[in-house]
Amino acid sequence: MLDLAFSSMLSSPAYLLAQEAAAEATGESFSYTSLANQALNGIGIVGILLLTALGLAITFGVMRIINLAHGEFIMLGAYITFWMQDTFQMDLLMTIPFAFIGTALVGALVELTIIRRLYGRPLETLLATWGLSIVLQGVIKLIFTAQLKYVKAPSYLSGSIDLVKDEAGSVLVSMSYYRSFIVVVALALLGITMFLFYGTSWGRQIRAVTQNRSMSQCLGVNTKLIDMGTFAYGCGLAGIAGTVISALKTVSPPMGQDYLVDSWMVVVTGGVDKLIGILAGAFLIGESNAIIAFLLNDPTARVLVLGAVIVLIRYRPEGLFTVQKRS
Amino acid sequence: MSKRLIDEDQVVCVLGCYTSASRKSVLPVFEEKDSILYYPVYYEGNECSSNVFYTGAAPNQQITDSIPYCHDNFGPKGFFVGSDYIYPKESNRIAIAELEKAGGQAVGDEYAALGTTEFITIINKIKAAQPDFVLSNLVGDSIPAFYRQFKDAGISAEDIPIMAYPTTEEEIQAMGPEYSAGHYSSFNYFQSVETPENTAFVAQFKEMFGDDRVTNGVMEAAYIQTFFMAQAMQDILKAGDEINTGTLREATRGQEFNAPQGPVKMDEANYHAYLYSRIGKWQEDGQAEIVFATDAAVKPIPWSQALYKGRMCEHPTPDDRSDPTKETGKDLEPVFL
Repeated sequence: MLDLAFSSMLSSPAYLLAQEAAAEATGESFSYTSLANQALNGIGIVGILLLTALGLAITFGVMRIINLAHGEFIMLGAYITFWMQDTFQMDLLMTIPFAFIGTALVGALVELTIIRRLYGRPLETLLATWGLSIVLQGVIKLIFTAQLKYVKAPSYLSGSIDLVKDEAGSVLVSMSYYRSFIVVVALALLGITMFLFYGTSWGRQIRAVTQNRSMSQCLGVNTKLIDMGTFAYGCGLAGIAGTVISALKTVSPPMGQDYLVDSWMVVVTGGVDKLIGILAGAFLIGESNAIIAFLLNDPTARVLVLGAVIVLIRYRPEGLFTVQKRS
Repeated sequence: MSKRLIDEDQVVCVLGCYTSASRKSVLPVFEEKDSILYYPVYYEGNECSSNVFYTGAAPNQQITDSIPYCHDNFGPKGFFVGSDYIYPKESNRIAIAELEKAGGQAVGDEYAALGTTEFITIINKIKAAQPDFVLSNLVGDSIPAFYRQFKDAGISAEDIPIMAYPTTEEEIQAMGPEYSAGHYSSFNYFQSVETPENTAFVAQFKEMFGDDRVTNGVMEAAYIQTFFMAQAMQDILKAGDEINTGTLREATRGQEFNAPQGPVKMDEANYHAYLYSRIGKWQEDGQAEIVFATDAAVKPIPWSQALYKGRMCEHPTPDDRSDPTKETGKDLEPVFL
């Protein structure tokens, strides 16, 4: 909240112009306008973090599966989009349902053959999903080669909105359409997921199974089906993330690794009990990354943020936004 | 692995390595075992080994012409970006020295972790610094993401053109030519080079790997090094000698080849190749329009003259492996083949 108030204060035009004038007078290259612009663009990073972490919030946050193949499901989504565009010349947005269904099917298959046998054995799950991520990368390399792939971005979402201009008409603060679109998609998916989990009987069953598996089984819940469905849904979300980011990023077999670490940081920071926690986690990590990277540089920002997360899980292993429970 | 190749498999030479980091890590092995590496990638120079034959560009075949070109055509203020490892850092260090020599200045020098695909911060810094051009030494997966987000942030190629060394036809194809049109790359070879050898090379390449594939400068350098090696081996066999490190080194230096980029030659003294220096402006079709080219291949100078004035590299004889670095103290004039 404090952050929001701070950035809205920063982006008020009068304040900005005064700062700009001051920066020009002192001849400094640093300007508050650019910082405000960066804070706003940080929202673009937050959107991507939220979108890519949402699937993991299901598979790890809800189901407690240490899923190191999460990044590869994002990669699969991107490749499904690439393949459909290449074969049927489809618009990127039209491929979203197929990316969801495709990765969800792969997810269901993985649950059926690997994950199901390893419930309650986190260490083996970790090794198995790590192996799975290597296998998935290898399979994609065999089918599509290791070349970088081209995904066509929708032309109606290109360019950026100019929010603040100076007197000469040059743009001071702007936000890209596509990044705004990513934020909207991420929030929409988060909303849908929360509705599914807290507003439907399927969601109630999922929560019941995570809380007490054997008791739910006794009460007639088909836990096997619920597990498979939930894991597949989490993978499907990762697939959508892959499709949406593929237009802004690079599509290649190892692309998922980049998102895996970030997604874990987001989920762990936000806390694993409440889905809404990942919104807070994504916001904290995205914005602090953006601001530190702007003031210092990118590699330093990564080190500092990762260090902060390590300190955080030392003192609050349950994450920032977890309700206190009676044990 | 290089140890195994030399000791167990008893290979006489190795063709390979991509990143400078990989070359630097195998170099001590090749020097200790006195074996030969053919290295096909444009690189940061400032290295001179009697165990490596370099067929990619030395700094004076890629950086020395492109920086004055940027200074004269775009303006004096350059913003330098790169991936965070040895090649981009060294290459940018040389490029900044060249820009200062030309009378310009660096208004930014930023690095991103290898493989990063999130560039919004660096792009914002570029916007804030208002440079006349960006010099990019980003490599691999980072390249398409950077160009896409650059355009997506509302910066056109007319406002701030990007001059790049690692961006080839291959990455242009992956990002989509609409993102690269109007930007520049400096390379020894482009698919659009007009020589009979290149027409044949491109046709054969497409026949072998598919019509939708494109050729690029690193492929061509690898193609050249293979011919240098093969011709050297043929010469040795014709003379009735045994192929070993000594004979191969002796036979490779001075080899000439009609490459797709034009006639090239392996320098006798410093084991780098004479190569053309070219600048291409990327077009809507993903191919480069060549806007600058030397008339002939340029003699390689491994040491950046902007940083180490007058330092050159000369191996006295193939068998003498003493330090080949020589200080002349004066500007080295460009020499052409």
